[in-house]
Amino acid sequence: MRRGTFVRWGVPIAAAAVIGAAIGAGPVIAAVSGEPALPERSAAQLLADAVAATNKEGGAAPMSGTVQQTSSLGLPALPSSGSASPLSLLSGSHEVKVWFGAADKLRVAMPTQLNETNLILNGGEGWYWDSATNTATKLTIKKGDTHTPATPVPQPSDLTPQQVAERVLAHADEHTAVRVINNAEVAGRPVYQLVLSPKEEGSLVQEVRIALDGETYVPLQVQVYAKGSAEPAFQLGFTQVTFTPPAAENFTFTPPPGAKVEEKTIGLEDMRGKQAEQHAEHAERVASEAKVVGDGWASVAVIPFSLSDLTAAATGTPDASATPGGPGEHFGEGADPQALLDSVLKSATPVSGTWGSGKLIKTKLVTALLTDDGRLLVGAVTPEEITKAAGTK
Amino acid sequence: MSTAESATSTATRRTPGLVPVTETMRTTERTEEPATDHPAAGPSGPSAPSGRRSAARATWAFWRLLGSELGLTFRRPRNLVMLAVLAAVPVVIGVTLRLVGGSDDGMGGIIQAVAGNSLMLTFVSFSFLVLLLMPVAISVVAGDSIAGEAGGGTLRYLLAAPAGRTRLLAVKYLNAVVYAYAVTAVVALSALLTGLVLFPAGPVTLLSGTTIPVLDGLVRIAITVGYVGAGMAALAAIALALSTFTEVSIGAIAGTMVLVIVCQVLRAIPELGSITPYLLPTKFTNFDAVLRSPIDTGALADGLLTFGAYILLFGTIAWARFSGKDITS
Repeated sequence: MRRGTFVRWGVPIAAAAVIGAAIGAGPVIAAVSGEPALPERSAAQLLADAVAATNKEGGAAPMSGTVQQTSSLGLPALPSSGSASPLSLLSGSHEVKVWFGAADKLRVAMPTQLNETNLILNGGEGWYWDSATNTATKLTIKKGDTHTPATPVPQPSDLTPQQVAERVLAHADEHTAVRVINNAEVAGRPVYQLVLSPKEEGSLVQEVRIALDGETYVPLQVQVYAKGSAEPAFQLGFTQVTFTPPAAENFTFTPPPGAKVEEKTIGLEDMRGKQAEQHAEHAERVASEAKVVGDGWASVAVIPFSLSDLTAAATGTPDASATPGGPGEHFGEGADPQALLDSVLKSATPVSGTWGSGKLIKTKLVTALLTDDGRLLVGAVTPEEITKAAGTK
Repeated sequence: MSTAESATSTATRRTPGLVPVTETMRTTERTEEPATDHPAAGPSGPSAPSGRRSAARATWAFWRLLGSELGLTFRRPRNLVMLAVLAAVPVVIGVTLRLVGGSDDGMGGIIQAVAGNSLMLTFVSFSFLVLLLMPVAISVVAGDSIAGEAGGGTLRYLLAAPAGRTRLLAVKYLNAVVYAYAVTAVVALSALLTGLVLFPAGPVTLLSGTTIPVLDGLVRIAITVGYVGAGMAALAAIALALSTFTEVSIGAIAGTMVLVIVCQVLRAIPELGSITPYLLPTKFTNFDAVLRSPIDTGALADGLLTFGAYILLFGTIAWARFSGKDITS
């Protein structure tokens, strides 16, 4: 071998090192630069500031950015059910673009390969555009007679970090140890990280981290870590964000020529109709029979449930004994509920104890137990906890 | 390798069919001799202008070599047939959509968009062609570049001329890049003309549901051509690197195609979702970012960075291999 050979091959090796460094630079820099970028703050101060920032005149700051949602819940492989199905959010990684102008100006776009789904809200009206079906749906949001105030909260915006953060914050009480990290970084911005760790031993949740922007206190990221894994089991957050008012044309929508235009009114009116009544009835009945065992992070919900109901509802055969509006109907079209059910049940392990016997479905964050005497127990707890809960009738 | 060395050192360096590294090194050095030979004679006087003159001569030689390479590439019947086939695909797609269009209600949105506007045919054609057919054309030209010369026994003549290996490699790569852009432009033009003939022209509806004027649409097509061409240039770098490892050009061509197909298979496996962003073909279809409102510059920049990384990595591999290789044929 010539001496020059080594020198020569050093060039591509150096190139590979540079590329590898460029790919890995983000996380490494964030981990290495441990200096607090922000002044120290207690959890209470931070929360107060955050609440003040969201409640101030004019609402939250206008912003736009890219939100990425990643879940690795350790679910059994779900049958692929179309990208638009909400079930697809349970695994893999998804990206939406968000433009937020004011409390009533919002655009959420979900880009997919050569397709795009858009939700645009501007004042009292909204548009839902689906390029795959070439359909524009005009949404009229009823004001006043609905329980939602002047700021309508559409379903897809459940995906913005704000809502998720609020939901998690509601759990923070004596069951939770709260601390604040002030040297983290999300989407290139210094953030405060509010770390909530459950005190209960039986919980599957290691900790929940909520990142609040250091300047505007807008929640930028929510991460849920399961016990015994370094990567978050669920993560929702901005990968890119700017706090400048987005261009006005983002919030105006005119249906393109040739598109199908439909109209829909969102409000309580949707809930009228026989089916909705049945749903409500069923939900009421379930709610009255359901109970919660344990408290805090280790609470387990016990719901009366029978497998035959679900199977009947899922297959769509109108069984006389089946409860009207069984849980199977909640699965969206496009997903095959039967296939989903089969694949979930296949992964379930049969368990038994002094409390009886049943099937256990275990994921990284949630454990579910379907007992043979017709109860469904769900909780973010270890299998031992859930069988203990099954024993307390 | 050692036998080649000993052969040249003992023999008269006139062994037919054998151009070892040392000899081509010497031939390259010879061209630079006038610039560096007499630095002591006149440190300020003649060396600087003669250096500039030789540098100018070198650049001229580079462009002349590139010109002759391009002439060869675009006169080769094989390459012209590939261009013609690629130009025919948008026509076939357009005619099919024209015949099918309007009758069926259950069509996808993008098909309907084509039926409604002539410019959309370009994007649809690209979305079909970038997956397989365009990579085939590019890997044939780029994979053939070094291996074809080696297999045909002409590589040693190219290296016997005082061209230098790095320069020859650069010329070969630029040649492949020009062909890649030619392929992209031909597809775009063919699709544009077919679209204008078969479908109504007018304001373009984007994926986001907004409408833009025709001129804006043409600008977006130009951006697409630039982006897709860059992606094909990245693929050409891989084919060139493989081409330096073999003397059988079909080996380099097939190797590149196998890589492309393996990448497509890997992308289809959901469990491997974490590696797909790093695969080259994943970025080929990112051009649909121009069809969004506003243009998703982040996705385009991300794709271009990936292309740059691939070009850097495989370009240096090709250089390291080719500059240290004994040419035995």
